[in-house]
Amino acid sequence: MNYPVWDVAFGAGLLMALVAGIHVFVSHFAVGGGLFLILTEIKARRSGDTALLGWLKAHTKFFVLLTVVFGAVTGVGIWFTIGLISPTATSDLIHIYVWGWAIEWVFFFLEISAALFYLYGWDKLEPKVHQWYGWIYFWTAFASMVVINGIITFMLTPGKWIEDHQFWTGFFNPTYWPSLAFRSCLSLSLAGIYALITASLIKDADLKARIVRWASLWTVPTLLLLPLCAKWYIGRIPADLWASAQGAMPTGSRFALYACCFLGITLLLALVALVMPRRLHIAFALIVAVAALGAMDSFEFVRESVRKPYVIANYLYANSLYSAAIPGDGGFTVPGVNQAGVLNAARFISTRTLTPANQVAVGHEIFRVECQACHTPTGYRGIHQLIEKRQWDPDKVHAMLGGIYLMHNGVMPDFAGTDAEREALVAYVNSLQSIHPAEIADGHEVYERNCAMCHQVKAADHLFSNLPRDPQQATDALKDLTSLFPVMPDLKLPEGERRALVAWVNTQRAAFPAPAAPAKGGN
Amino acid sequence: MFDPTAVPTIDPNPLPAPYWVFKLLLIVTFFLHITAMNCMLGGAGLALFARWRGRTSAYGSRIFLDIAKKVPTLLAATITLGIAPLLFVQVLYGQYIYTSSIVMAWPWFLVILLLMFAYYGFYFVAHKGEKKPAAAGKVMLFSIALCLIIGFIYSNNFTLSQTPATWAQKYLANPTGWNLNLAEPTLIPRYLHFMVSAVAVGGLLLVMVAWANWKRDEEYAKAIFHLGGKAFLYATMAQYLVGSWFLMSLPREMRLLFMGDNPLATALFGFGFLGAGVAIMLMSRAVRTANIRLAGITVTGLTAAIILSMSVMRETLRDAYLKPWHHPQEMAVSTQWSPMIGFLVLFVAGIVLWFIMLMRYGFFKREA
Repeated sequence: MNYPVWDVAFGAGLLMALVAGIHVFVSHFAVGGGLFLILTEIKARRSGDTALLGWLKAHTKFFVLLTVVFGAVTGVGIWFTIGLISPTATSDLIHIYVWGWAIEWVFFFLEISAALFYLYGWDKLEPKVHQWYGWIYFWTAFASMVVINGIITFMLTPGKWIEDHQFWTGFFNPTYWPSLAFRSCLSLSLAGIYALITASLIKDADLKARIVRWASLWTVPTLLLLPLCAKWYIGRIPADLWASAQGAMPTGSRFALYACCFLGITLLLALVALVMPRRLHIAFALIVAVAALGAMDSFEFVRESVRKPYVIANYLYANSLYSAAIPGDGGFTVPGVNQAGVLNAARFISTRTLTPANQVAVGHEIFRVECQACHTPTGYRGIHQLIEKRQWDPDKVHAMLGGIYLMHNGVMPDFAGTDAEREALVAYVNSLQSIHPAEIADGHEVYERNCAMCHQVKAADHLFSNLPRDPQQATDALKDLTSLFPVMPDLKLPEGERRALVAWVNTQRAAFPAPAAPAKGGN
Repeated sequence: MFDPTAVPTIDPNPLPAPYWVFKLLLIVTFFLHITAMNCMLGGAGLALFARWRGRTSAYGSRIFLDIAKKVPTLLAATITLGIAPLLFVQVLYGQYIYTSSIVMAWPWFLVILLLMFAYYGFYFVAHKGEKKPAAAGKVMLFSIALCLIIGFIYSNNFTLSQTPATWAQKYLANPTGWNLNLAEPTLIPRYLHFMVSAVAVGGLLLVMVAWANWKRDEEYAKAIFHLGGKAFLYATMAQYLVGSWFLMSLPREMRLLFMGDNPLATALFGFGFLGAGVAIMLMSRAVRTANIRLAGITVTGLTAAIILSMSVMRETLRDAYLKPWHHPQEMAVSTQWSPMIGFLVLFVAGIVLWFIMLMRYGFFKREA
């Protein structure tokens, strides 16, 4: 609301994911690959393996052209993109961590310089001097990651920074070390995976086999270590954040599953390459790389999902409203905007008066300033598709938008604005669809469409624990949801659907494991 | 509480060092960035010019390849040295830069793609230029064109960031980010001011290359020197026209800043104006008498001083534009001592290490 919102039809978030998704895959290679270059050079020189040295020289060129150009430019690209999509968060991060960024810039400058010296020094420098550049490259690249890691993890788990606002408190936050271990393992793993790509192009089968075996030493152990690092990482994430990332929508738990699957596939493929090193084909090497890309990006999506609804956890929501009033917030908090109204608070909005005639148009502007950081009307995380999927008629949309902060374990901030503005948003959202759902008899479907946004199928969930077990009593109780729990949306389900839902809920409850019996003995 | 007509509110986090520290860092790092950019773009342009003229000159292709091999490294320097001023400008002027960037989001975002293509194009020319000369010329032209577009986008964004009064209308007319700042009267002269200076500084790059080759192959070195020196001369002369256009295109009160209203700005402008004239005279003599040291040390040093003074003038102008909105004295400051000292120590150590890297690679040996 403080800044204009870039209206990207297919979703600004998707654009961010694309830029970041490809950048991380190269930037981590830039770190691990640096160590790979230097250690491989030492190994080749010690063993007098000139063929290996010859390959390494070509691999260096590939490495530099990929990391110095693509890696560096997409890194700047992330910065450009986050500034366009989350200017408030960028401004916060710049002011909190400008010295961190500046330190990282020094390392980055040295890293790029050393990479170029290393590349151009192959035929010019004495081996010792050449390796000296290689070491400088690796350590400065690693130092870059050490710094960036502090800022990225700060966004997820700012920890006590929320209270003391001290640079180092936020930097060495609860997930700093597990994340660094995780990213270090990924970097080393990627060094081996990228080596497979250039090795696959070699005609000398013996040399190819030597490189594949050597690359496997980098890939296999680190891939095996990654789940341990992930476990450590997850253990340091506050329980409420982790809980919010579980549920029906594509959240952390789903991407964690993808990450595990891709990780398993990558490991399996790496082992296949190890078993048949002489026959490694470029297509196979690329498949290994794609699997690793899938694992890596799934992990980044887990991190992003866990962080929702925040950009900086417990500090700034994804829609650039601060989660609590703080001095200097400019009033950009949910209570602040509730009081002032979106039409008074937002700077870049064309209409400041709401009338019955302009309700939909105003609703569209409210949607843009308040929802479009994550959603689009019909594209990425499109509202149209979400409503179609659940078959919400206008009345249901109205009821549901009354408590969006409850949906999906709290992955969305509450609506900020006046009641009339909320009505305008409802009117706009309803203009995106024309649904007249028929009554359904499948209880599970009723649950998925109406309850799954907030509830989960487990014994401890309020729906499954508190709903009366008697079918008639439960069917009646569901008639007026707000009397069950005041924050519930005021959904008016037809009796047939309520009956079907109750029957399905009771079936599920019967399948839940019985609670553990109290221990016998003692007093 | 809210004032929707004002520029975006700055975030609640205080500046982690006094304002002047960031201003100084911004000026110094911008100077380094713009110098690298000038060398890269001007060098690439002159390399292509040498090749085009090569039909009539003996060394055209050689100069082309010689300079083309340096361009990717110069672009790497431009990017890495560009990160710092982009960081520091966001510290001080974030609310203006973010907003203008969002208003023209797509062109701004496309900078990344254009840069990537230009970069790989330059690498293609550097690595394949000898084997594929026909393609190399076309690719070089393509990459230079992309860099010229990037420069134009930058000029659009930074002029737009200085005129908050134009944002809302532009954005609301097209919130999808397909905007530029073409109606801005200073846009074209400002852009040309930067591009013409790239030719002049590119000329100085050629002077340096000539100097490095002076003892090894004097005839060749003189050919490069001649090209570089002439480029510097003509571009700097042209700068009088472009610079005057730029000055005249400024709103009156800003123009007057450089004509007496602001003593520092006036002194710097005077220095730039007269310094450019002196540089022209000295370079003219250097080319006439084949005095490479005069061009390589005196003219280059003088030009660096002029660019630095212009970097300060640029800040004065920005502050003048933003005066109604930007109040540095109202910005909260809470110095983060240990991270700041950490940066300064690493910055100095980094410079030392960088020079050692240059030395061990044999840079200074070659010049000696």
